[in-house]
Amino acid sequence: MAMKPWDSHEVSQLNELKIDNEGLTFVAGWLAQGDIVMVEQMPIFGGYAGGAEETAICDVATTLASFGVIGGSWHLDGPIHIRWGITTARETLQIAGHAAAAIDANTDLLLGNQYYPVAGPCTEMCLLETAAQAITDTASGRELVSGVASAKGVALNYTTGMEARMMGEAAAAVAGMKVEKVNQILEALVSSYEKQYAKAPKGKPFQECYDVKSVLPSEEYLEVYGKACKTLKDLGVPLKE
Amino acid sequence: MAAKRFLDVLEAFNRAKKGPKVPEKDWDYNIIPTNAAALKEKYKLNFGRQIIPTDKATINNLFLAGLEMLVETGVYNCDTGRVIKVTEEEVKEGIKRAPKRLTMGSNRDSAQLAPRKGNASVKPIIQGGPTGAPVSEDVFIPLFQSYAQEAIVDTIVSGVMATCEGVEVKTKTPWEIKATLAEVRAIREATARAGRPGMSI
Repeated sequence: MAMKPWDSHEVSQLNELKIDNEGLTFVAGWLAQGDIVMVEQMPIFGGYAGGAEETAICDVATTLASFGVIGGSWHLDGPIHIRWGITTARETLQIAGHAAAAIDANTDLLLGNQYYPVAGPCTEMCLLETAAQAITDTASGRELVSGVASAKGVALNYTTGMEARMMGEAAAAVAGMKVEKVNQILEALVSSYEKQYAKAPKGKPFQECYDVKSVLPSEEYLEVYGKACKTLKDLGVPLKE
Repeated sequence: MAAKRFLDVLEAFNRAKKGPKVPEKDWDYNIIPTNAAALKEKYKLNFGRQIIPTDKATINNLFLAGLEMLVETGVYNCDTGRVIKVTEEEVKEGIKRAPKRLTMGSNRDSAQLAPRKGNASVKPIIQGGPTGAPVSEDVFIPLFQSYAQEAIVDTIVSGVMATCEGVEVKTKTPWEIKATLAEVRAIREATARAGRPGMSI
């Protein structure tokens, strides 16, 4: 029941461009066994590096270090906003979008990104934030999207499969779309929620979003999900029914 | 000059013992911001409002700036207080050596992680899960089943089991190992209940 050869072992770099001996030691063990090693790091917008361009430069450098220094198999990104602690803000989407496009155009490296919206489960805001990041990651060439740590990933049991459904469906909907069109959608989508961070709804815990025994989502959540889908379709996201 | 070979973690550790000694505060508050700002200036990077870049100059200059950032700055080892220096050639060897395709999961539940190149029409791998967010023991299995049963989800990412057998888990203690294995077992049970026992974690 332990880890299998097709699972990913995770090691984290530290902010910014830092690592410790513990991380290097774990990687040495995993690589000796031929395991898949995922190297994770979340560059901080407004942190040590500074603004969007400086943080994106660090993001590219960090990603390259995952392969060129640590010997990782794939990289999990996650630019995060120092004020809000989220990955779905305009600036952090911009950093992720630019870093992925730059690395994708110049290498065949395998790139992922992780999701920390401010709003919680069973809220339209959470689903719209998630969609915005999925659209950004897909159109900028990433190979994997990983989430969703709703309500900033800090509240107990405030994550559910419905947010992952939105992440996946939004990604699938824009795959192949022209990037210019994607940018237009993102401009409208991000503008629709970015003024609400301070009063973002925490949403509901898993036990109130699902019947815990049948593991079926509540009628309320399905209605919220449907409303978010309509908003996205109105903005030009061709979600499949 | 061509690289002698790629840099591996053992050589990275060796360099962390011999590299330039730097106070960590100097790294955080001086070296990182100074070098990043200089490269932004050198490569004339200005993103404006665009979230995904569309001009080739910005895309390629950002890559060159990031590569130069890594080569000129290095990676700081917090334990030794020294910088791991790496050459451009070694980084490029590392890129060449990196996997170009990975199989995640087994049998009918496997997914292929492979380069998409730009906004290709194939969707990315959808990895569902709490992504490190805390989950209580009593709902751990059904919560993960809620991800595994989603048709669009390809693989699972774990969360943090808040307690293990009721015990709060601290890092660098034996409970950390017990809790990690408990998480893996519970996720396997969740994917099996969803009819997808071969999903990757």
